[in-house]
Amino acid sequence: MTNKIALSIILAAMFVGGAIYLSSGSGSAGREVEGGSEGVSVENGVQMIDLAAKGGYYPKKIVAKAGIPTTLRVRTKNTFDCSSALIIPSIKYQKNLSSTGEELITIPVERATGTLRGTCSMGMYGFEIAFR
Amino acid sequence: MEEQKYTFHVQGMHCASCVVLIEDVLKGIPGVGGVAANLSRREVVVVGLLGDDAEGIANELSKHIAPHGYTLAVEKKKASVDWSEFSYAIPIAAALVMGFVALQKSGVVDLIDASTIGYGTAFFIGVIASLSTCLAVVGGLVLSVSANYAKGGDTWRPQVLFHASRMASFFILGGAIGALGTIFRFGPSGNLFLGLVVGIVMFLLGLNLLDIFHAPKKLQITMPKLFGRATAVHAKSSHILASLSLGALTFFLPCGFTQSMQIYTLTTGSFLRGGLIMLAFSLGTFPVLALLSFGSLKITSGRARRIFFKTSGIIVMLLALWGIIGALTAAGFIDPIITL
Repeated sequence: MTNKIALSIILAAMFVGGAIYLSSGSGSAGREVEGGSEGVSVENGVQMIDLAAKGGYYPKKIVAKAGIPTTLRVRTKNTFDCSSALIIPSIKYQKNLSSTGEELITIPVERATGTLRGTCSMGMYGFEIAFR
Repeated sequence: MEEQKYTFHVQGMHCASCVVLIEDVLKGIPGVGGVAANLSRREVVVVGLLGDDAEGIANELSKHIAPHGYTLAVEKKKASVDWSEFSYAIPIAAALVMGFVALQKSGVVDLIDASTIGYGTAFFIGVIASLSTCLAVVGGLVLSVSANYAKGGDTWRPQVLFHASRMASFFILGGAIGALGTIFRFGPSGNLFLGLVVGIVMFLLGLNLLDIFHAPKKLQITMPKLFGRATAVHAKSSHILASLSLGALTFFLPCGFTQSMQIYTLTTGSFLRGGLIMLAFSLGTFPVLALLSFGSLKITSGRARRIFFKTSGIIVMLLALWGIIGALTAAGFIDPIITL
């Protein structure tokens, strides 16, 4: 009986550990861009941040310059999952993106500080932009 | 031999429809004259020509109701909570959660690679949706409700109604979106409200499935009448209505796939095409949802059933918490903490 309970606890811990490991891992096919600052460019004096939305937001972590005019460019390509329903609470942005296309979201200069977080309508995918 | 009155304790009797089921089964046994089950005391009084061996009678009668998950005993079992069932339920639940996370991480949504949507694509998107994070919301709701129905002794009828209503509402509402060119959806506060209500109801249903509380009646009162559990016997019609409205409600649940299909439907500009696209999508989600609905009916052994219900209960409660956190995140109250 005691053995059975011990086995049960070990198995449960293994699976929970596995789940945490998987969800914190780098994800499928290395879609994530490490280092974060990739995907940030300056076009005509405006800081452009590129974000891909499909099965999550990539890159998940972005480092950008603070206090300058910034536009977030979200690309969808055959995106039907939750990531097409984009929400950025701090700038009160909420939109269901078309399944394939490009969405330009202007981030006001005064909001381009600190950390800006976005999520999808079910809250399970997220990304963050750290303005420095 | 004279008719005698026997009182037995019933393990596993939780709801009004259990009472009816137990009474019906016991009444059909030769020698049994009358049966009266009492839900709040978890007792059943049997009158009949069954002899003096109360213990033997309890065992004999138990054989008849064991397939439904109930057992009779002369003595009230002190701890009717069988904790050993959790030593199976918890690892199984943990394994399934890990499998679910692994499935999401495997990039299952990347399988969708069609730029134009026909009926076949809509069906395929439905299949993927039912394997994706939508499973957490819609599947969790389906599992919690159907497992509670099954635990209450119901069989396939409410589930069939649920699925029929889900498909019908997808066709009609999809058609309406196509024809009218406007989308039906709730605003941010409506979404938050819906998310919280569904999350809380799912959590309570999951808790009920764990079967660890000795005051089940109290818990049942807190159950929304929508699910018609407490009123299952008194008002069969409310039962039907609950299944139907729940099926239709799934159209509005926050599932990214459903939302983007609705947006696509906007562009069709026709009732028939819009309706058929949404119908094809809901047909695609059907296999997985059906498995969750009807799976519990296949498991007939009493112990396996109880383990199934406990496992479902744990999973449903986790999904409920995840859903509540998601709803709060989407509303901007908390930062995204559990993201895939």
